[in-house]
Amino acid sequence: MTAFLQYLVNGLTVGSFLALIALGYTMIYGIIRLINFAHGDVFMVGSFVGYAVVSTVVAQHWPIALIIIVAMLAGMAATGVLGIVIEGVAYQPLLNKPRLAILISALGVSLALEEGARIQFGAGFSSYPGILPTTGFSIGGAHASYAQLGVFVLSLLMMLALYLFVQRTPTGTAMRALAMDRDAARLMGINVERTIMLTFLLGSVLAGAAGVMQGLYYIQINFIMGFAIGLRAFTAAVLGGIGNLPGAMVAGFLIGLIQSFSDGYISSNWSDAVIFGVLIAVLIFKPTGIFGERVVERV
Amino acid sequence: MALANALRRGISTESPQTRLALRASITLAACVIALLIPQFLGDYAMSVAVTVVTYAILGLGLNVVVGYAGLLDLGYAAFFAIGAYTSALLELHFSLSFWEALPIAIVAAAVAGCIIGYPTLRLRSDYLAIVTLGFGEIVRITVTNLNVTGGPNGLYGIPPAGVFGHSIVSTNGLYYLGLFFMVLAIAFTGLLSRSRLGRAWRSLREDETASEAVGVPAIKVKLMAYVMGAIVGAIAGMLFAARFGTIDPTSFTYNTSVMILIVVIVGGMGSIPGMLLGAIIVIALPELLRSVSNYRMLFFALALVALMLVRPEGLLPPRRTRRGAYRAQPPPDEAPSSPAPAGRRRPGRGELLLQVTDVSHRFGGVRAVDGVSFDVHAGEIVSVIGPNGAGKTTVFNCITGLVTPRSGDVRLGGTRSLRGVKPHKVVRLGLARTFQGIRLFDGLDAVENCLVGLIAHQSRMLSLGGLLSRTTREDRARAMYWLDFVGLADRGHLLASELSYGERRRLEIARALMSEPQLLLLDEPAAGTNPTEKRELMSLVKQVRDTGVAVVLIEHDMGLVMELSDRVIVLDQGRIIAAGEPQQVRDDPRVIDAYLGREEDDDPDAGKSVEEVLGWRS
Repeated sequence: MTAFLQYLVNGLTVGSFLALIALGYTMIYGIIRLINFAHGDVFMVGSFVGYAVVSTVVAQHWPIALIIIVAMLAGMAATGVLGIVIEGVAYQPLLNKPRLAILISALGVSLALEEGARIQFGAGFSSYPGILPTTGFSIGGAHASYAQLGVFVLSLLMMLALYLFVQRTPTGTAMRALAMDRDAARLMGINVERTIMLTFLLGSVLAGAAGVMQGLYYIQINFIMGFAIGLRAFTAAVLGGIGNLPGAMVAGFLIGLIQSFSDGYISSNWSDAVIFGVLIAVLIFKPTGIFGERVVERV
Repeated sequence: MALANALRRGISTESPQTRLALRASITLAACVIALLIPQFLGDYAMSVAVTVVTYAILGLGLNVVVGYAGLLDLGYAAFFAIGAYTSALLELHFSLSFWEALPIAIVAAAVAGCIIGYPTLRLRSDYLAIVTLGFGEIVRITVTNLNVTGGPNGLYGIPPAGVFGHSIVSTNGLYYLGLFFMVLAIAFTGLLSRSRLGRAWRSLREDETASEAVGVPAIKVKLMAYVMGAIVGAIAGMLFAARFGTIDPTSFTYNTSVMILIVVIVGGMGSIPGMLLGAIIVIALPELLRSVSNYRMLFFALALVALMLVRPEGLLPPRRTRRGAYRAQPPPDEAPSSPAPAGRRRPGRGELLLQVTDVSHRFGGVRAVDGVSFDVHAGEIVSVIGPNGAGKTTVFNCITGLVTPRSGDVRLGGTRSLRGVKPHKVVRLGLARTFQGIRLFDGLDAVENCLVGLIAHQSRMLSLGGLLSRTTREDRARAMYWLDFVGLADRGHLLASELSYGERRRLEIARALMSEPQLLLLDEPAAGTNPTEKRELMSLVKQVRDTGVAVVLIEHDMGLVMELSDRVIVLDQGRIIAAGEPQQVRDDPRVIDAYLGREEDDDPDAGKSVEEVLGWRS
């Protein structure tokens, strides 16, 4: 039972990161039907920006909270700009071109970001200064650290903010309209280019926040850290019904839990196989994901 | 690049003979260069060349899946791995030679293709992509964790391939062996692309629903794409294992799948020369960038983005085949239907063809079709009319298998039930249709659009003989006959997207007629056409009827309906409110109400069935 609770706590922590990243995948897919392979690497860049900030200011003896806030804001700002630049340079010109061209462009951007980080920070691990307290509290014998709680709460708050933004504001409505029918949205006076750019901004900012939190929490980061987590986050986006924001959040936590339980009860060697196995099983019975709507084609 | 463009422009304006000669000489030059390369390159460069050849084979295989069938596969390296591991295990544990292991590895990959494909092919595009990615990862994780595959260390001591008693270990020998299989792969995939199966793939890529509705068995055809791709990938895997004598899971990662996909897209999806060029670029370009060692992959990545921005369709996309020969070819005098295909009988006039009994269907809470019954007999034209939203198209969808009705039955010839029969089988049984919003295969020319309609008869297509068989002269003659029938004899070589609106309507009818139906369902064939075109279309419908095909059509133009139809069925809110001869229906007060609205709801016959009201049932 204690082990079970421990896996649950760990799973929710991993799930927080996955859900934040999955949101970016699902938003971008929803709006331009692109599997943005570079998204995991945007997360990685966020993590490295946070690393640069924390390593620099840690000598200043600032309060921990201030360091965290500054690092996160810096990481989010950097990835936000990066997302907009990527979209403008590598995707925007290809929006109306053969569909796979933009996919290959995304793969190119992904590789370029990884190689850029490798050249800048080296191929080995870089370590965040360990500033987070390791203390915590006990739930039924399982240890939950305050850091884990912080990650969980902060992620939920950001997700809630995004959800409200998309559901309640005119800009969010424009995004949803665009996701349904780009041409109709354009005819209704929505600035399509700017809305797409905004979507990339939001998705990238969330990934950047996840990147900085990941570095603060796990300490060690490297240039290909975005690959494995990106793959799982994308799996979560699909599992939740791609294009569906609440679906991506729930499925992000779900994949985190599957990974944690599989690590604990089976072996971490098999975890990815288990995750993909679950995905395939779900898609066979629910072809558009857990929360995806059944698409009825009109003929 | 500019040179290539100029060259292509030059090619397309030349006569077919010149073009053919140019193509032949380019091919010949490429062959000579490929054969002579070992004379000029050193050992290291040659080992790069062997890798290029391996990736060219992989590209050719993935091209079948992505380029021909239009299915995004992000886990293609799985088949590469299955070929490599299967052959290595057979050679190590059962002492089979390379050539003995070859057929077994091919079968193993084909089976894996089926296993991966079957449960997932019902998924649409991007969901399918992530599932293929998942399967690729599962295969890699499995070989990493099993003892029999040597775990993370992999397998070693794999014997090299032998030819005439000589072990092929030299780089040059491996190069020629690879070249041999590459030529085989080119021939194989080239044949596939020209075969009936290839045409079925192209139609699926263009419009899946439409191709099912004209008789293409979508799931089987997609599965064949996976199987064919898997076979080619497995051969590349065997070569890889025989080359290095050792394999481990790191050679078969997601990155490998991505590299192969890049070969396909950079080269130009669907083009065989494109795959060769793509492999050269993806493998040789990073090697050429060795001078900037630490930055070479960064430059490669940026080059990839730049390349896509400049040429999103790839470097050598398939040339659009304008077969000008069609223009000169006169339609055959004889009706092509004289050798009636596979047991298709021409029904006698007045014979019962279709019996729709009490069919109902709902979407959510909306009763789209509510207890509809009617019959259709050979040689008649039946019109289905009614206000928008009356359920007319849904009735068609229930009949053709696109929708399975909640209740009720549809019988063909009064006996065979069509309930739950897949759309492509309904076509084979003699029931063809067109769509309200025209659904043609826009990227195919008019003749090819028609030829897809012929697939309904080629049920042996999935046997090995039928698989690779090319289009026969008779097939083309038949396509030309129906194109001529609808008045498009001189349009055969044009892409469907290049035709005018009215021509597209008529092409869709020709495509449906290719399956030699007993019954043709036309969903608003004259919608959006001008009065002249409308009149032409209606005389076409009469001509179709005169060939012995019964026609059911949905139409809004009352004048035309009254003039053309033998019988008229009026639908309103999912129910038949009137049915009978045009004159009879026109005077029916319910019909007038349905179209003009009624003042008060005092219909004494509400709740009674049509048969009771009209006493009609033949």
